[in-house]
Amino acid sequence: MDKNSAALYKKMQTEVESYQNLQKSCVKMVKQRALLESQLNENKCVLDELNLLGPDNKVFKLCGPILVKQELEDSRQNVGKRIEYISKELKSSTDTLENMEKDMLKHREAVAKYQQQWQVAAAMK
Amino acid sequence: MAATPSAPGKAEMIDLTKLSAEQLLQIKQEFEQEMTNIQDSLSTLHGCKAKYAGSKEALETFHSDWENREILVPLTSSMYVPGRVKDLNNFVIDIGTGYYIEKDLDGSKDYFKRRVEYVQEQIEKIEKIHLQKTRFLNSVIGVLELKQAAAAKLQAQQQSQSAQNS
Repeated sequence: MDKNSAALYKKMQTEVESYQNLQKSCVKMVKQRALLESQLNENKCVLDELNLLGPDNKVFKLCGPILVKQELEDSRQNVGKRIEYISKELKSSTDTLENMEKDMLKHREAVAKYQQQWQVAAAMK
Repeated sequence: MAATPSAPGKAEMIDLTKLSAEQLLQIKQEFEQEMTNIQDSLSTLHGCKAKYAGSKEALETFHSDWENREILVPLTSSMYVPGRVKDLNNFVIDIGTGYYIEKDLDGSKDYFKRRVEYVQEQIEKIEKIHLQKTRFLNSVIGVLELKQAAAAKLQAQQQSQSAQNS
């Protein structure tokens, strides 16, 4: 292998490596996003249920092993805030995921380019 | 997971024959992965529905003349202590994320009824998506098989030609 194709090969390898790293973190992000989505869903269900309650219904919150009585209005606000927070998190994770996918595409293209150059170099010999 | 509308599905079906066998194989693998995920969520949902339905059934067996009736309260799944029903009309229900609400008998029944319906709705939604994906996957597999058959035929022809030439 001459110097040129060796350099190309090395470049290609670094690209492949960074692509694989991105892929790994991408899988992690997808899992995290699924978790956030399920939490958002659960919180929405809870809020729906709380909104159906009248003032004579009692609301409790689980704190460790005991149930603590809560004001209905407080609980509603709390769950609403949580939904807001989770939605924000979800949005930011979607954005990161999109950026990651773009980066992945770039690396994949780079790998294909180097591969082609390398093949050309090999054929020229 | 958004439902894939049927229109782009059709557009993709036209493109399928233009894709290479490798690309088709990749699509097939991706879809198979997605199908397993969908199957998993479906079975989870069915489990949830069974749980809610079970709670509802337990409530159905309650009668209004059960005041002071003696029951066995489970401490663990295999140990019970005797107890008496004191308050027939108050149930505390876990509604998720650590919140519990107190409801009367009818309200609780209503809650579980709504939950079962909600889960059923979700199941139906996902089953629809599942059906669409199955159809798409089948068409991908069909085109893939056609391509493979064509490639095999081409190879056989080349072989017979080279055999004739030699």
